[in-house]
Amino acid sequence: MTLTQHVRNGWYLGAWSDEIGRTLKQRWITDIPVCFYRLPDQTVTAVEDRCPHRKYPLSLGHLDDDGTLQCDYHGYRFDGQGVCVGVAEQADKPKAALRRFPLVERDGAIWIWPGDPELADESLLPDTSWLTDPNWTHVHGVVPLKARHMLLLENLLDLTHETFLHPTSIGNAAVAATPIDVTVDGDRVGFSRRMIGIEAPPFYEKSCGLTSPVDRWQDGDFYPPGIFVLNIRVAATGTEEPDGFHMKVLYGMTPGRGNETHDFYALGRDYLIDDEELTRFQHEQQLAVMQEDVDALEAQEIMYATDPGGTAESSIKSDLAALRGRRAVAKMLTREQQAGGTRPRASA
Amino acid sequence: MARQTVADGVVSLELAASSGESLPPWQPGAHIDVVLPTGVTRQYSLCGPVKDTARWRVAVLREPDGRGGSQWIHDHLVEGGELRVRGPRNNFPLRPAARYLFVGGGIGITPLLPMIAEAEATGAEWSLLYGGRTRASMAFLPELEGYGERVTVRPQDQYGLLDLAGYLGDPDPSALVYCCGPAGLIDAVEAHCAGWPTGALNVERFAAAAVRQPADDEAEQPIEVELRASGTTLTVPPGLSVLKAVEQAGVPVLSSCEEGICGSCETSVLEGEVDHRDSLLTDDERAANDTMLICVSRARGRRLVLNL
Repeated sequence: MTLTQHVRNGWYLGAWSDEIGRTLKQRWITDIPVCFYRLPDQTVTAVEDRCPHRKYPLSLGHLDDDGTLQCDYHGYRFDGQGVCVGVAEQADKPKAALRRFPLVERDGAIWIWPGDPELADESLLPDTSWLTDPNWTHVHGVVPLKARHMLLLENLLDLTHETFLHPTSIGNAAVAATPIDVTVDGDRVGFSRRMIGIEAPPFYEKSCGLTSPVDRWQDGDFYPPGIFVLNIRVAATGTEEPDGFHMKVLYGMTPGRGNETHDFYALGRDYLIDDEELTRFQHEQQLAVMQEDVDALEAQEIMYATDPGGTAESSIKSDLAALRGRRAVAKMLTREQQAGGTRPRASA
Repeated sequence: MARQTVADGVVSLELAASSGESLPPWQPGAHIDVVLPTGVTRQYSLCGPVKDTARWRVAVLREPDGRGGSQWIHDHLVEGGELRVRGPRNNFPLRPAARYLFVGGGIGITPLLPMIAEAEATGAEWSLLYGGRTRASMAFLPELEGYGERVTVRPQDQYGLLDLAGYLGDPDPSALVYCCGPAGLIDAVEAHCAGWPTGALNVERFAAAAVRQPADDEAEQPIEVELRASGTTLTVPPGLSVLKAVEQAGVPVLSSCEEGICGSCETSVLEGEVDHRDSLLTDDERAANDTMLICVSRARGRRLVLNL
């Protein structure tokens, strides 16, 4: 598994809405430096973080009250459309424009399309209405990860690792012992694991006040190249839907620079939504579980990075969703390369 | 959802979005996945007008020996009923050409109908040879007969096997051949088109059944596997995997799990019909019949040609 290039014709989670304001924020996405900021009317905008003059990072510049972005190296100035509106050195405007990226801001998340703007299709985004649904509450954030995003993808598509890597929180023997059903819908890969009459893992005992036996469902959907949504249902064994405790986890697996990844997460629930103590506990647990994953993936990254020839990998049936996820990304990459890459036109 | 019987054992379904919205655009050759309440997914070619974004038409042949998908549609799907569908997707696109030779067998006529409409609209020269068991079993004859001389209808009980040699004639570099129908027909057309330019023949096989393990009483047959790039042909006896046979012949090939899971041994298929026995490939990938996992999959016929 050596994917050194990234699919760019796809949506990635670029930032949470509450991260972006009137200060310039740099974030590398699929090896492209991106500068995020808001215009005076609060619309979010994202441009390539390289001044067309001498490639100085625009995020080190400043934003005027009228929304003009100035490069603080030689003073190139750009309007809200990214078009250069003047320089101090001469009366004539240089012919220069910034590459602007298609963005969708929805439910507190900012999605970015780093590839060909013509192909940006909002219908490819997953439903995130639960992030703003009054019957749900959630926590969110982003964790830095020094590992390629494919390793994170495989981690999420093969949750049997919970048994071994997260035994004190969300994992127990039942996860690895229960096979998954895998579905494919176009490029999308889904899996479903229904654990019935199992022992409640510690996190769910505390989170839901449940005693064993419980039924625990995991239904995951991978929206390639970089979005994963996990639907969780936990209930006392024998409880009928829609009763039970429902949770959702959204992961934005956004490739950054080189083999670094932004590990965005949002964790939501539809019960005891005003219980702030429970929210704090769940957030701590989420971050603790993610740290266990980050440590494991960073250790794995070193092994993949130092094994470029690729010693053979063994695979088992529970790898099916992860292997299909790999294939989905590889296919998108091939399609992109055959279409002649994704060189976008600067929007002038 | 509206339904009508259009031939013996064939119902035509007209589908509209339950939301009343217009349906996604598609091109001739496209199919949709119908997700049945029984949990099975079936692929059906779209066979109505491409321009109609309000309705999609598919035709379903009752297959008593199938896995129950078509039976459910025939027995339980009522007018106004709801179906879950996905797609459309196209593994059988119509490429531009000056002349088209269409060959349809039975329910294989469905993807050809919008292709014919397209060929007619672009002013290309085209003809159709349409075979079936009996005239009564052949769907859409009234709309095809409107095309007059370009369409030749040949039910088997009256005419016997299709005269492919007479119909296809000598290789024509300006023509493309499009064929959809049962495996036997496609194999025969492939044999007749062996001398045609690469890419001239385009076929769509009915989706192979999902992973199947041979029953205990099903005798495995030896198969012949030509490794075109190496210029060798191997006989693979029952009980020996294609992968092992290839390795024994000294041809380098990647492999890892040997259980049809990991995809390491995935190999391009140039000719022949694959009996897919892996658990990795999707239904679409299987139906395309252009790739296989040689550690477990074999041939439905007696022969495969691999790009090894």
